Amino acid sequence: MTAVIETRNLSKWYGNVLGLSDVSLQVEPGITGLLGPNGAGKSTFLKLITGQIKPSIGKVFIKGQRVRNNYSLFSKIGFCPEQDSFYEEITGWEFLTNLLKLYHYSPSEIKTRAEQALSIVELLKDKDRLIRAYSRGMRQRLKFAQAIAHTPEIFILDEPLNGLDPLGKRKIIRLIKDYKGEGKTIIVSSHILPEIEAMTKNIILIHQGKIFAKGDIHYIRDLIETHPHMILIKCTNPRLLASKFIHEDYVVNVNFGATADSLLVETKNRDKFFSLLPSLLIENNIEVEEITSPDDNLQAVFDYLVGK
Amino acid sequence: MMIREKGYTHWDGILRERRYPWWPITRLGIKLTFKRKHFKFLFFGSLVPAVAYLAGIYISERIEDFRYILRGSQRFLQINPAYFKSYFTSDFLLFMMVMILVFCGAGLISDDLKYNSLQLYFSKPLRKKDYFLGKASVIFFFLLMLTLVPGIVFFVMKLIFSGSFQFLRTYPWLLLSVIGYSALVTIFFSFYTLLISSLSKNRRYVGILIFAIYIFSDIFFGIFFGIFKNQYFSLLSLKGNLQQVGALFFGQKPPFQVPWLYSFFILLCVCFLASAILKKKIKGVEVIK
Amino acid sequence: MSIELKNIHFSYGKVKALEGIDLSLSEGAVGLLGPNGAGKSTLLRILLGFLSPDRGEGRVLGYDIKQEQSFIRRYVGYMPEDDCLIPGMDAVSFTSYFGELSGMPRQEAMKRAHEVLFYVGLGESRYRLLETYSAGMKQRLKLAQAIVHDPKLLFLDEPTSNLDPQGRKEILELIEDITSKRDIQVLISSHILPDIESTCSYVVILNKGRLAAQGKISELKEITYRLYEIKVKGEEERFLEKLKRMGCKVDETEDKLIKVYMPSHQDLMEIFRVALEEKIQIRHFVKSQTSLEDLFAKTVGVD
Repeated sequence: MTAVIETRNLSKWYGNVLGLSDVSLQVEPGITGLLGPNGAGKSTFLKLITGQIKPSIGKVFIKGQRVRNNYSLFSKIGFCPEQDSFYEEITGWEFLTNLLKLYHYSPSEIKTRAEQALSIVELLKDKDRLIRAYSRGMRQRLKFAQAIAHTPEIFILDEPLNGLDPLGKRKIIRLIKDYKGEGKTIIVSSHILPEIEAMTKNIILIHQGKIFAKGDIHYIRDLIETHPHMILIKCTNPRLLASKFIHEDYVVNVNFGATADSLLVETKNRDKFFSLLPSLLIENNIEVEEITSPDDNLQAVFDYLVGK
Repeated sequence: MMIREKGYTHWDGILRERRYPWWPITRLGIKLTFKRKHFKFLFFGSLVPAVAYLAGIYISERIEDFRYILRGSQRFLQINPAYFKSYFTSDFLLFMMVMILVFCGAGLISDDLKYNSLQLYFSKPLRKKDYFLGKASVIFFFLLMLTLVPGIVFFVMKLIFSGSFQFLRTYPWLLLSVIGYSALVTIFFSFYTLLISSLSKNRRYVGILIFAIYIFSDIFFGIFFGIFKNQYFSLLSLKGNLQQVGALFFGQKPPFQVPWLYSFFILLCVCFLASAILKKKIKGVEVIK
Repeated sequence: MSIELKNIHFSYGKVKALEGIDLSLSEGAVGLLGPNGAGKSTLLRILLGFLSPDRGEGRVLGYDIKQEQSFIRRYVGYMPEDDCLIPGMDAVSFTSYFGELSGMPRQEAMKRAHEVLFYVGLGESRYRLLETYSAGMKQRLKLAQAIVHDPKLLFLDEPTSNLDPQGRKEILELIEDITSKRDIQVLISSHILPDIESTCSYVVILNKGRLAAQGKISELKEITYRLYEIKVKGEEERFLEKLKRMGCKVDETEDKLIKVYMPSHQDLMEIFRVALEEKIQIRHFVKSQTSLEDLFAKTVGVD
């Protein structure tokens, strides 16, 4: 797949404050999660790829073209920023239609697009209320509406679920997945890792202005050698089970749970462990209630790569 | 032998209602005011007239010793209600009081609005009354230091320097005047300041308004008086109204040919307006959005 | 019982905010969920003693919600959603100030403020001015002022919003520690369901002013016995075939998750026997339950 967004040696400083340092990557169609601690460089990165600021070093390409000041490209990008700043004295409808005018659509097309976008985010019945009267969730949905109204190919969404209730979040996640199905490219930046996980397995982790990880969460987890994989097994007679594999050298650590029915195994080689497990269970007549991997998720990846 | 466990520990004290639940608010307001840049300078500057007048009281007793300084100024140093009135209603003192209001009062409510701390205040067992009283007391503290305290000091010092109670016998009501006028000015300025402070979230803007409304009310009076030559325009000026009422308290001739009742009424109106607006504004703030 | 409400009704003018709410909560962590506009804030206002219900009665910490509202506020800690600070103060003064306003004597408030600031992780920065604090620190400060007077009831309103992943983790750990001793009632209102799930054992779901659901999360989430979600590694075709032949219903969903329904006559460990035969690794094996999100969607009555 050809890259939709590509950066080469991208760097940005604000005076001597570091924004981003030497970032070269490619983003393919589909959903990519963008995460990182505060001050890591995420917003700088997003501003650079949407062409809002100029890189200090390096280049950004979208679909092979340079981004900076490339107005024809902008109509292909939908950006939903994190900040909340609207003109309070106009209605939601006026806001959206005025923005759509900037894309040179005909008046009838503007009307259709605005109606469609507002109905997707369920703001159609409130379109004639002043923005000042909107609740937080409604403002967020309006922001989202303006990002999708011009049917872009590329969506850059910064904390799109902020302020929405669980049902609203679900709707937006479904919508984003629909866009993925249509072949669009979406970058979602969020601090709430479970929400990113609900959308995609493909992430970019930024920290200290650099890319600390890129790719599938589980592959990344595999690459982190300093932290052996954790496997939680709930079963009858955990100690008996432990005694059977304790001499295997790829089992690094075994912890018994507070209740007498679970154990936590740390291993460097999951293949060998899981290949051995069924036979141990059957031979020793141990019944299993649950097998899970507590640290095979995004929070663990984040902690291991970034955490203190 | 013992170890202290990490983790959440409880407090085994009792929470009780204080006698003056608003006192921490006042204490905080005073502390924060003194932290502001240049405030100490301003505050001590505003005490200069008090010191000067006190010196005057001393000098008036020792007039023989100081005669050579005061050739021809004898009339000036008669310590009587007019002397008190001239301290209390002097342009300079009123001006300094307004400046102090800017420092101590501008942020009282506007900062709470801006930084959302009203939510925290009202989630405690604090009544609205206590909140306002606490905030107003900050202003009370500073203004009473400029009015009531010097007034009482003047009175007491006069008695001490003259060595007799003659002064008290001549003007038995003077102390009451001092208290009454101090209370009036302080209460008026408190309402005035709290009202403006609740109107905006920006402390600087509030400070400018506190100052500007006071000054411009006087300037407008000047302009209209200059055009129409009608003394009734003095009712426009906050300073004028205060001076009218001040003159009344000290039994002196009012500076303008306007019934003092009107001035008093205007001051009272401002207070009521402030009280109504404050009640409405703070009621409208939901603790939980 | 820390909170008891019977038949609470409240309307803002003509708009009905709460209808017929009956609630009974004792120690532990309770999640308060609901769509926007469901009445959560109104309920919290009534519990905190700011509003008197139009109808109905209740007691919070033993105090009547209509007559003894200021007592309630004395023993309740509230962590608001929005950032709040007082410019010019440092964390110690800020925390002890609000402790005093709750009714603590000055010296006690000061002492406890230091303790609490260390507990929430602001020990090293407790003398710094609040204007210099980052978002995560402000959040912890809000928690500190909510617990300085050792409240019996703690309301946390969106405690993890606007925090980066590290900050979220730390606040959640603090909340778990506070609730672990089970002698403080904690009520958490949040839209982030994973956080509610990790900290609360009990949940109250409001919708359109009414109680849509109330109960232990583990009980509300229907555990479908005999339905398991598994993830495997290896050549799965034959493994799944064998399971089907045993009478199991097999369903492969997105994300390579396999749902297996075991008929009642089959022993569960058969799955492992078959896995052993086909040299399959079973890497994930969990009883299927409705997620909190699905539970929420179901109770709120939308698709």
